[in-house]
Amino acid sequence: MTDGPVLSVRNIRRSFGEHAALDGVSLDVAQGEVVAVLGPSGSGKSTLVRCVHQLEPIDSGAMYLDGELLGYEHSAGGLRPLPPKRVAGQRRRMGMVFQQFQLFPHWTVARNVTEAQVRVHGRGREEADERTRELLARVGLTDKADAYSRQLSGGQQQRVAIARALATRPRIMLLDEPTSALDPELVDEVLTVIRDLAAAGLTMVIVTHEIAFALEVADRFVFMDRGRVVEQGPVADVLGDGRSDRLRTFLSRYTQQRGTAPETRARV
Amino acid sequence: MTATAAPPGVGDVDVATARHRPRPWRWLAGAVIGVLAAQLAWFVTHNDRFEWPVVAEHLFDPNVLAGLGTSVLLTVVAMLAGSVLGVLLALGQLAGFGPVRWTCTLYIGLFRGIPPLVQLLFWFNLAYLLPRLSIGVPFGPTFGSWSTNDLITPLTAALIGLTLHESAYMAEIVRAGILSVDPGQRDAAMAMGFTGGQTFLRVVLPQAMRVIIPPSGSQFISLLKGTSLVSVIAMTDLLHAVQVVYNQTYQIVPLLIVACFWYLVVVTALSFLQQRLERRFGRGQRTARGEWQA
Repeated sequence: MTDGPVLSVRNIRRSFGEHAALDGVSLDVAQGEVVAVLGPSGSGKSTLVRCVHQLEPIDSGAMYLDGELLGYEHSAGGLRPLPPKRVAGQRRRMGMVFQQFQLFPHWTVARNVTEAQVRVHGRGREEADERTRELLARVGLTDKADAYSRQLSGGQQQRVAIARALATRPRIMLLDEPTSALDPELVDEVLTVIRDLAAAGLTMVIVTHEIAFALEVADRFVFMDRGRVVEQGPVADVLGDGRSDRLRTFLSRYTQQRGTAPETRARV
Repeated sequence: MTATAAPPGVGDVDVATARHRPRPWRWLAGAVIGVLAAQLAWFVTHNDRFEWPVVAEHLFDPNVLAGLGTSVLLTVVAMLAGSVLGVLLALGQLAGFGPVRWTCTLYIGLFRGIPPLVQLLFWFNLAYLLPRLSIGVPFGPTFGSWSTNDLITPLTAALIGLTLHESAYMAEIVRAGILSVDPGQRDAAMAMGFTGGQTFLRVVLPQAMRVIIPPSGSQFISLLKGTSLVSVIAMTDLLHAVQVVYNQTYQIVPLLIVACFWYLVVVTALSFLQQRLERRFGRGQRTARGEWQA
């Protein structure tokens, strides 16, 4: 572990054909920090976390986890991509939560949480089972251990997915719109879990549309538009006078939709 | 709408007291099926040409059972080898490297397109094309060499022909299965730090099996029936075994019934196995009738 940022993203670009999904994005996330990534649809927020997790390649720039270069290594012949096994090793130190939950439907809830601990981290069955019990209790789903994912509500599935990502004690959690696929009445149970993680000091990057929530749990916000970071800073500044027109427009649209100003909700 | 007194008659009825609706077409269909079944039963039991005693006599004939053993052995080995090869071909077709993809596609096109009968004859006559088979460095020294005629017996020719034919079909079935799995599942598995192999074997393939099993069952059945082709290269399968008998006794129909009986026994046993497999890989899914499988 180093004193520097847990995650460093330096000027990364990612294009799909002509379209630049990420057009030179830089971001540092310090130990224990919670960063909320905001922005309109198609602004590159999801692509950013997918690239950090190496689910998608980057075209240029570089990313570091605890100072270690992600996805590449220096060798005698210059910079080369890491072999897949080492990439898997790097992914193990990050936890990812997907918009569509992506629990494994052929396994029980408990096995979803246990499997990576055993197969990937070589933990013993008993130790892994113990940790699984602990995590399911933490997300309030102890009684669902033997259920299959399709028997659960969306909110419950996402809580299991969070437990699954936590199982291997990641250095950083990346949450990609964790509540966007949920019915409105199920959003809060997931947000409560995330709030607890933030309070416990977990380092997190949360891509979200829940602006009020983001302002409440995050230390810092990053506002993206058209593949670029337009603005970033302490969350308090989102509401300050220094904000750009684009951020102002984005926030006002949100206010119209919800009928509640983010200012008032943020204080809840 | 405002709350007012209900109109007269509303609330007088409880649908639980309703009787069944008359269904005349069902009665007719039932009657037709009943008559046809009775006719069939009469035909089967009262027609002496079925020669049921002859059927009974040959049902457990050692030669017939040996033929049955050959047919089942060919089917099981060709199915297992064909499935493994099929999975590899399916992965090859989905590979990122062009030449691998093209080769697999070409292979599948070739072995799916040539009739299995032609393939059997071809492999059996391989010696004409390649008199000797050897293992060694390509264009370099050889470590061992054998006469093709010694290696290609009717059994090996049949196994090679049926396996290659089967693998081409299985490749397409497996590919369809893999494509049916949400790509997000692969992402989730990779994100957890599973390697590519673990992701495929533990996450993607088990879910693909739901789509793979039903057509594979049909493949197994058509392969079993396809083993009747191997008699052209002098292998004694089930059909060939009964043919040998009826060529001497001219009791063609009863002996074909013997063959049909055994084919149906094997197919029925397989259907049970398939049901169990479907249940095994359907865990966590809802059945068509809405029940949870566990």
